[in-house]
Amino acid sequence: MARRLDEEYDYLFKVVLIGDSGVGKSNLLSRFTRNEFCLESKSTIGVEFATRTLQVEGKTIKAQIWDTAGQERYRAITSAYYRGALGALLVYDVTKPTTFENVSRWLKELRDHADSNIVIMLIGNKTDLKHLRAVATEDAQSYAEKEGLSFIETSALEAINVEKAFQMILAEIYRIISKKTLSSEEPAATSIKEGKTILVSGEANTKKTCCST
Amino acid sequence: MEKKRISDEFEPGPLPPTRPLDRFGFVKQEQSFSPEGLTKSRSAYEREREERRVRKWRKMIGVGGSDWKHYVRRKPHVVKRRIRKGIPDCLRGLQLVIYETSASELDIIRDISRTFPSHVFFQQRHGPGQRSLYNVLKAYSVYDRDVGYVQGMGFLAGLLLLYMSEEDAFWLLVALLKGAVHAPMEGLYQVGLPLVQQYLSQFEQLVKENLPKLGDHFLREMINPSMYASQWFITVFSYSFPFHLALRIWDVFLYEIKLPFEKLIHALRNFPEDAMNPDTLLPMAYSVKVSRRLQELKQEYEKRDNESPHASESSEKQVQTVTLKPLKS
Repeated sequence: MARRLDEEYDYLFKVVLIGDSGVGKSNLLSRFTRNEFCLESKSTIGVEFATRTLQVEGKTIKAQIWDTAGQERYRAITSAYYRGALGALLVYDVTKPTTFENVSRWLKELRDHADSNIVIMLIGNKTDLKHLRAVATEDAQSYAEKEGLSFIETSALEAINVEKAFQMILAEIYRIISKKTLSSEEPAATSIKEGKTILVSGEANTKKTCCST
Repeated sequence: MEKKRISDEFEPGPLPPTRPLDRFGFVKQEQSFSPEGLTKSRSAYEREREERRVRKWRKMIGVGGSDWKHYVRRKPHVVKRRIRKGIPDCLRGLQLVIYETSASELDIIRDISRTFPSHVFFQQRHGPGQRSLYNVLKAYSVYDRDVGYVQGMGFLAGLLLLYMSEEDAFWLLVALLKGAVHAPMEGLYQVGLPLVQQYLSQFEQLVKENLPKLGDHFLREMINPSMYASQWFITVFSYSFPFHLALRIWDVFLYEIKLPFEKLIHALRNFPEDAMNPDTLLPMAYSVKVSRRLQELKQEYEKRDNESPHASESSEKQVQTVTLKPLKS
């Protein structure tokens, strides 16, 4: 795949996809980054990632999305994935109550390993399977409110709300970042065209030099 | 045979007269001791009630038993009450199986169609490939309850199943993981994935030493080997490498029983267009000498890792603990 070497962006945001195995994380990623859905997808082993550059609130954002394996046993090696993540999409399957029940365990995982300011969005996926729905929208909605998460239901298969979900979380991250930059002492406008990786914690911002190949 | 004998004995005619059966298939007793209520045909009301119960049960069990555990946790009293009222007969078989279904089993079922989904042998739902894969994984999860089933194992089993019978694939998996003639590799799948962590640490160090520029670059970009190499190790390269290359790695791996760190280093060093051609990659890769350093790095890792005894002991210290046994004694 040829990639533009001069791809320019204002910000690089790292977002992780988490949630139980089989809820559709990989297909949400492929729908968002390549507009593809694969009925015969392999289970994710370890981690995969993909990027897409898009406009959010008038800025060019490069979204780097990390897709992780959902099985419990893998948590031993997945903690590294949370490093530097600004957002997390916590996915459950609306047809599988167990996956919704486990959302609280994933939240704990985030609290233990991710930055405390990470933006979290709860996603109920597979709304196309209407006849199999087992988690009510209202239940998830009120849970999200209680936990202070944003919430949306999606269908990666029918491409419903996928774009919106990513747009929402990226915009949210951008709002937080821009507020932070404004209120902080650092000169805000220095690196706008270079693009940079931003740590929510506000520790030393790592400059993102473009990979020269 | 049975039928014939019976008909010889009781009836000279070709077929015995059909006798009424109860709903379980037993020939109805006409004697007076059978309670009247049971033999009476069921009323429309009863049928309707039965249907309602079946619907409730189906919802409670979920597809393939996927919701059962959830329901038991959430509403134990409801479950108990319903079971005491009797399991609907059409679901009894499934339910009796579910009682004994482990969490591993549900995981296995979920992943069966997601293992080499584009290979013709594994494509057909419930076809011979998927069934064999299920059998091997289920058998292993029962054989080694500590490890159970871990995502990634399916690709090992799947690769083996393309070349051998179910039984052989199972025992080869056991031999690999338990260490029949070499150090066991079960650490790839044990809690904490200790062997994966060891390999990642060795690999990271090798990259730093052999390819310092790349190592620095990865460090600056916060790229840790667990982000790109864990799937290589967890599936012994059967997951993401081009299949013909994976097979060539396995040819060597099964004979020498060590992971081809050389290959990885080489693949990272220069990536010519035909790098994925095994006849190019393998000879070049073996020209990179890492075995001795690998051993040192392993010892260093184990020293560092000593405070968590669980991680390396079980997987590394005992060799030759298991011998291949036939399935049937």
